[in-house]
Amino acid sequence: MKKSIILFIALLGLASVAYAADSQIWGEMRIQNILGYGQEESWKLGPLFTMLQHKYFAWIFLGVLIGVPAAFFIHYKIIGPKVFPHSEKKYYAFSLYNRIIHQVAAVSFLVIIPTGFIIVFGDFFGGGTFVRMAKNLHGIFTIPFTIVVIPMALMWLKEALFNMDDVKWFMILGGYLSKEKKPILAGKFNAGQKMWYWVAILGGITMILSGAMMYFLDFKMEMLHNLAGMSQIDLLRAAAILHNVMGFIVLALFITHVYMSMFAIKGAVHSIITGYIEEEELKILHSTWYKKLKDQGKF
Amino acid sequence: MTNSLGDIQKSKSIIIFGANPAVNHPVGFQHFLKAKERNNSQLIVIDPRFTKTAAKADIFAQIRPGTDIPFMYGMLHIIFKNGWEDKEYIDARVFGMDKIREEAAKWTPELVADVTGVPAEKLIQITTLYSKNRPGTLIWAMGLTQHSIGTSNTRLAPILQLALGNMGKAGGGTNILRGHDNVQGATDMGCLADSLPGYYGLAAGSWKYFAKQWGVEYDYIVSQFKDASWMEKNGFSLARWWAGVAGVKSDDKIENAGTTLKALIVMGNGITSVAQQAKIKEGLDNLEMIVLADPFVNEAAILTDKKDNVFILPAATQFETSGLVVATNRSAQWRYKVVEPLYESKADQDIMFELAKRLGFYEQYTKGMLMQETKDGKLEMIPEKKTFTWPEDATNEIARIIKTIGLTGWTAERVKKHTDNWHMFDEVTGAGMGPMKGEYYGLPWPCWTKTHGGSPNLYDTSITVAEGGMGFRNNFGLEKDGVNLLAEKGSFPKGSKIETGYPEITKENIEKVLGITLTEEEKAACGANWKVDNSNILVQKCLEAGVCPYGNAKARAIVWNFPDHIPMHREPLHSPRTDLAQKYPAYPDKANHFRVMTKYISVQSAADYAKDFPINMVTGRLVTMNGAGIENRASKYIAALTPEMFCDIHPDLALKHGIRNGGMMWVHSPEGTKIKVKAKYSQSVLPDMVFMPFHFAGYFQGTDRTGNFPAGTKPYASGESVNTVTNYGYDIITQIPETKGGLCRIEKA
Amino acid sequence: MDYARMKFYCDESRCIECDGCSVACAEAHELPVGISRRKVVTINEGIPGKEMSTSIACMHCTDAPCEQVCPVDCFYIREDGIVLHDKEKCIGCGYCLYACPFGAPQFPRDGAFGAKGAMDKCTMCAGGPLETNSEKERHLYGQNRIAEGKVPVCAAMCSTKALLVGDAESVSNVYRARVMARGGKGSNSPYGWDKAYKNQ
Repeated sequence: MKKSIILFIALLGLASVAYAADSQIWGEMRIQNILGYGQEESWKLGPLFTMLQHKYFAWIFLGVLIGVPAAFFIHYKIIGPKVFPHSEKKYYAFSLYNRIIHQVAAVSFLVIIPTGFIIVFGDFFGGGTFVRMAKNLHGIFTIPFTIVVIPMALMWLKEALFNMDDVKWFMILGGYLSKEKKPILAGKFNAGQKMWYWVAILGGITMILSGAMMYFLDFKMEMLHNLAGMSQIDLLRAAAILHNVMGFIVLALFITHVYMSMFAIKGAVHSIITGYIEEEELKILHSTWYKKLKDQGKF
Repeated sequence: MTNSLGDIQKSKSIIIFGANPAVNHPVGFQHFLKAKERNNSQLIVIDPRFTKTAAKADIFAQIRPGTDIPFMYGMLHIIFKNGWEDKEYIDARVFGMDKIREEAAKWTPELVADVTGVPAEKLIQITTLYSKNRPGTLIWAMGLTQHSIGTSNTRLAPILQLALGNMGKAGGGTNILRGHDNVQGATDMGCLADSLPGYYGLAAGSWKYFAKQWGVEYDYIVSQFKDASWMEKNGFSLARWWAGVAGVKSDDKIENAGTTLKALIVMGNGITSVAQQAKIKEGLDNLEMIVLADPFVNEAAILTDKKDNVFILPAATQFETSGLVVATNRSAQWRYKVVEPLYESKADQDIMFELAKRLGFYEQYTKGMLMQETKDGKLEMIPEKKTFTWPEDATNEIARIIKTIGLTGWTAERVKKHTDNWHMFDEVTGAGMGPMKGEYYGLPWPCWTKTHGGSPNLYDTSITVAEGGMGFRNNFGLEKDGVNLLAEKGSFPKGSKIETGYPEITKENIEKVLGITLTEEEKAACGANWKVDNSNILVQKCLEAGVCPYGNAKARAIVWNFPDHIPMHREPLHSPRTDLAQKYPAYPDKANHFRVMTKYISVQSAADYAKDFPINMVTGRLVTMNGAGIENRASKYIAALTPEMFCDIHPDLALKHGIRNGGMMWVHSPEGTKIKVKAKYSQSVLPDMVFMPFHFAGYFQGTDRTGNFPAGTKPYASGESVNTVTNYGYDIITQIPETKGGLCRIEKA
Repeated sequence: MDYARMKFYCDESRCIECDGCSVACAEAHELPVGISRRKVVTINEGIPGKEMSTSIACMHCTDAPCEQVCPVDCFYIREDGIVLHDKEKCIGCGYCLYACPFGAPQFPRDGAFGAKGAMDKCTMCAGGPLETNSEKERHLYGQNRIAEGKVPVCAAMCSTKALLVGDAESVSNVYRARVMARGGKGSNSPYGWDKAYKNQ
């Protein structure tokens, strides 16, 4: 927790340094903006970004927004949700700390993702005050997520490491394509959840950094400059491309996460609200973990 | 400037010594660029720095500061060796070129390379290019003048042009770029310590001429001085006035009628951009009264510790007054008032009128504006005229009095007509078209009569005197050591009745020289010579005969009344080459030089400066600013472009001292002063030199003095003045400070 | 009516980095300090034979990339080719800056945490979508000199007449005349025209 506060303060500090320092984007640096656009020796990210943003990004977002829920809708209709009895014994799996951290991130996502959509389809909303507000909310709600992302990464790191169970899980896609209730090999988190963990953490950090760059424009990252030898404008263009592409992935997995917790496994969402998981649910969906807990005499 | 900016477009080659027109004359520089474009003109730049001008050059030589004379002698050496000089021209129109030839013979390209740092091949290349592309024009500015040998520099440059026959030709000439708005006019009007207006000098005869023209008794003027002898002596100069203030620590003896300077009035002069700031500060601190009249706060008020009797008067800007201004090419332009003076500001002349009233000589001061010439060469009060109209009457007074440089034709009415019909003149030649035919824009002087159209190019014999032609001036006698000083047979302005050289025209010689007879009335009316002839009959008669009133003489390569008869190389007082300073030593010290003892050899030989101060230091301008920079630094957009005082330094030199780009550094001078400035890496200077602009003030030796600004007057940008560390050193004739060749030591701050 | 295509051209053989254009622009439009609609850039400064200066602003490109990437579609292109935008629509996202080959879009920092305000750029002195020469247009977009029949202030102020603006044909003619006069030295097409106008 302390660590994250320090990180947050450092980030703000960095931003204000950028604010005070000479601009990296216009002024003298305009020369790099020009040289870095499409010259032979440059990364030619300018025309690439223009092409992607002009022709593809909005359509892909729309595709993800419609396509992923559509797939799940079909899944729901054909295979249907997994329903576990809610009268059995429960196991206290998520502490209050776990839940607060998760909820902060959840709320952030619930603002960031729709506002992101409003920005992507800004022309549909007519620009102006409404979209500008969405853009500002998009930025402001990154702050709570920035605060919790490191604690969240640390508290679930051990459980999110991949192991042999996950290979088997992936082979049967977690059993979600079958109606059978047969125990599936998985620890506290199954491979799908682990995938979401890594996308949310690493992808989230990527989104924070690329977003911050775009938000502040001359938010200078000396390390990245030195590492990639890119000028600020190149970094910004890269950030814009990355932010969009990572956006597709995060969005797709976010929708999956919501579908799983809300629809595919009836009542699963309660576990992150109350902290308790149904024994039956554990037995089937997290059988490895269930065995371990049983050995420890927790049931 | 012998020709004009537009005329540069006619040049086949342009050589620039110590000037940076791309930065200091950005609008004028378009003529250089057009010469390149339209005339395939070769642009040659000789400068210690790779300037913005150099960036546009066809060839650039990076010279060590203060070695222009060796460079030019090197060029002459090659020219004479190859026989590229214009022999016919030299024989007919130049006196003493043989002595130049002898000196040039010593300056082999190899020797020049050693002294100037420019490789022999480059010297040969430049000389060849310049000699083969004639007419060539030679440009200079402060880079030649601001040296202890500045006068010699500015003599050798025209000699180079004379050798090539480039003087007095369209596309040729020596075009000296004036650095401020109307500075040519200010000089013409005698803002000098050694002359009355119009370069009349300070001799008793000149004073008597002016007394008569102003309608006052000569004795009245004498009564204003301690005695008549002081009227004929040079005053203190802008460079060294501080030496005359009691309490300033200086061992330079002054000769100022047994007294010291008590008060200083500054009108529109950025004295914070003059060398020896520490001394100027001492001078200011010890004066009894300081009056500063400027549209912005003159930073002298910020520099001084003096608490009382410092007066800041709000002077109006040029937009709040009107009058005649003179451009760099000697042409006049009318400037109309745009707005009335704002708030309580007053135009300069009104400040001076008020001062004259309070000192009790307002009537004498303004009387000349109420006078006119009569047909019989006398002066009278204009009947019924009780008050004068500013500035028309002042302009007409100037036209009436100033004959030496031919301002007779500059009546207010004519100059206004030119300005109003600006579009009727050719951009390149300045020649008028349509109703303005026969006149050149702004009537470049000499403009001999009220109908003369001005003289576009000085010393041009290819056109008649009536059209602006002339030979060289006869100002120094008829012969020297048995050699004829007048032009030789066959050299004369087109259409002249006299087809050889002739002396300047006087009442006494006119009949003989022109072969005419004056009537008794004419004789009675005309003055002793053309310069003091109110009737202007002498000039009229000359023009009728196609003769130039000032004579037709040879240009002098030898000036026998100067310490160096021909220009000689002398190392700067603070030279990085101690060995060469011994070989080419400075002048002997000069007592009573503008009233103060001025040191040369005693400073140069006092120490081995190069040991402790190994870095060349040159100063100059930025395109965003002019002069002391106060009005520019008070503009937020301009201040944003150059928000801080900086020092251009080569990365190699900087890294040797651990100075980072953008880091602070100290610059120490042999005077014991220092300034703290921001380092700016630049490839435009060599690793043995630094460059600093002189537009900043407000800080002094590391301390911020901007708290001294009256509330609300502090400019957006302030900084150290480079002139705090410019070295001691003054020209032997003009006393201009040696800011373009000095030494310093640097360290990381 | 057939509108002429308006173009900028900066002659790098003539540009001397005097900054007259950028200061004139800032003064005329009363820009905040730090917003440079026009900027003079110099490359290889101090290196003989290589130093080059040119004045850069929005080039009002053909198929303007900024217009293509804007998520709120705030750009519009006049019939004479001048690319303008609606500041009241703009959300200050910065995408136009990433797309621009000339680094033209500028962002004032308003608000907390360095949030960017609406983008500002060269209008070729043609104002914006509001009522011509209205107080609000002047406030948001600066002078509308084009509407008054005046040359954009940067070109009017250029000390060496390096910076030209006008209909494509006139500008091309001046360019060709200068290149011919210089004996064909210099680049084949004006700097930046390949990117801005696809050499059309």
